[in-house]
Amino acid sequence: MKRTVAADPYPWPYNGDLRPENTVVLVIDMQTDFCGVGGYVDKMGYDLSLTRAPIEPIKKVLAAARAAGFHIMHTREGHRPDLADLPENKRWRSQRIGAGIGDAGPCGRILIRGEPGWDIIPELAPLPGEAVIDKPGKGSFYATDLDMLLRRRQIQNIALAGITTDVCVHTTMREANDRGYECLMLSDCTGATDVGNYRAALKMIKMQGGVFGAVADSAAFIQAISK
Amino acid sequence: MQLPPTIPIEAEPYPFEWTPAKCALLIIDMQRDFLEPGGFGEMLGNDVSQLRRTIEPNRRLLAAWRKAGLTVIHTREGHRPDLTDLPPAKKIRGRGTTCIGDVGPMGRILVRGEVGHDIIPELYPLPSEPIIDKPGKGAFYATDLQSILQHQGLTQLVVTGVTTEVCVNTTVREANDRGYDCLVPEDCVGSYFPHFQEMGLNMIKAQGGIFGWVTHSDRLVSVLS
Repeated sequence: MKRTVAADPYPWPYNGDLRPENTVVLVIDMQTDFCGVGGYVDKMGYDLSLTRAPIEPIKKVLAAARAAGFHIMHTREGHRPDLADLPENKRWRSQRIGAGIGDAGPCGRILIRGEPGWDIIPELAPLPGEAVIDKPGKGSFYATDLDMLLRRRQIQNIALAGITTDVCVHTTMREANDRGYECLMLSDCTGATDVGNYRAALKMIKMQGGVFGAVADSAAFIQAISK
Repeated sequence: MQLPPTIPIEAEPYPFEWTPAKCALLIIDMQRDFLEPGGFGEMLGNDVSQLRRTIEPNRRLLAAWRKAGLTVIHTREGHRPDLTDLPPAKKIRGRGTTCIGDVGPMGRILVRGEVGHDIIPELYPLPSEPIIDKPGKGAFYATDLQSILQHQGLTQLVVTGVTTEVCVNTTVREANDRGYDCLVPEDCVGSYFPHFQEMGLNMIKAQGGIFGWVTHSDRLVSVLS
């Protein structure tokens, strides 16, 4: 039986093969330092409303996906405590804006694995059995075992959520698309620090008949997977 | 002591132009389950003494390397506790009664976090030395090794550890295809099978050094001390 999500610019996935066995919900970088109250971005005085807006929709998607037996995976951006995997220019840029990676922050060393601020916010904490991918870059495939985990489970479809839309979620979507995975961006389950970038990022996906995949909101996704 | 920027090291098939500042010592899979009596390796009927003879040369080389302030990286073969990164083909290979993920003599076999999966005390990593946890035989596949080498500006590897024909050879081949120069000290690599030890080294240095160079650790230690 074919099953699709009502998505733009085409019903997703392209082949109608949407099953719990071959589909993952991938939640990108919902970490305390990026979107948690008291985290680094919060303490810097930035407005958290845009990056916290996806929390409730993601919660609903996770509940529905768990109930229907879909795969769920999470990612965290961060570096080894000795910074051996930190590019020099990434460090320099972070220091320039007063958020030096590896420096002390409000929730431990900024973006360092094992620190409280680097972990996923409690509202969206992974359940046992849900893989967590620790990535040093913006993309979730670079220098990680994500591709191996997906192939091992014969996953073909990836529904993307998390932050930020234009940086880590988009990079991951592009990496996944080039590797042949069928991708769906869940529009209300993602957010950016700039609303213009958020809108543009969604639009870029839909160009050329869906150059990176398709876009749908969480209600459409939940409706399709709960059938 | 200040090392010269480039030092020719006597090696086969011809001298290796060693650049210490751009060279990491990469120690492959010196894990308790492979090397210790009573571990998984021995349980499978292997003679661990063939591997244990590499401990002392590795220990000497590592001590000299650390003293010179050069980069050290360690690897461990193993899987996530939920085995989601374990290919089914690897799981059933060998048709053993006890396989990867099962409880073995030193905890769950080849599972990250278990006692047997960790590195032997003689070569235990310092906190400043990255450990690469790899699910395969090669240290580049599904890991961040290349990213670390790139960011540290490293272009050469001295590769040691076990076993010569499996994880050492796979890693040297992966490194070679990615443009890294590899030097293998023959006394610091080991195989359960003497024939494979010899052939594994031959294959690296054949055809003008098709995958890299082979030397003896004395030649590196004498320069470092």
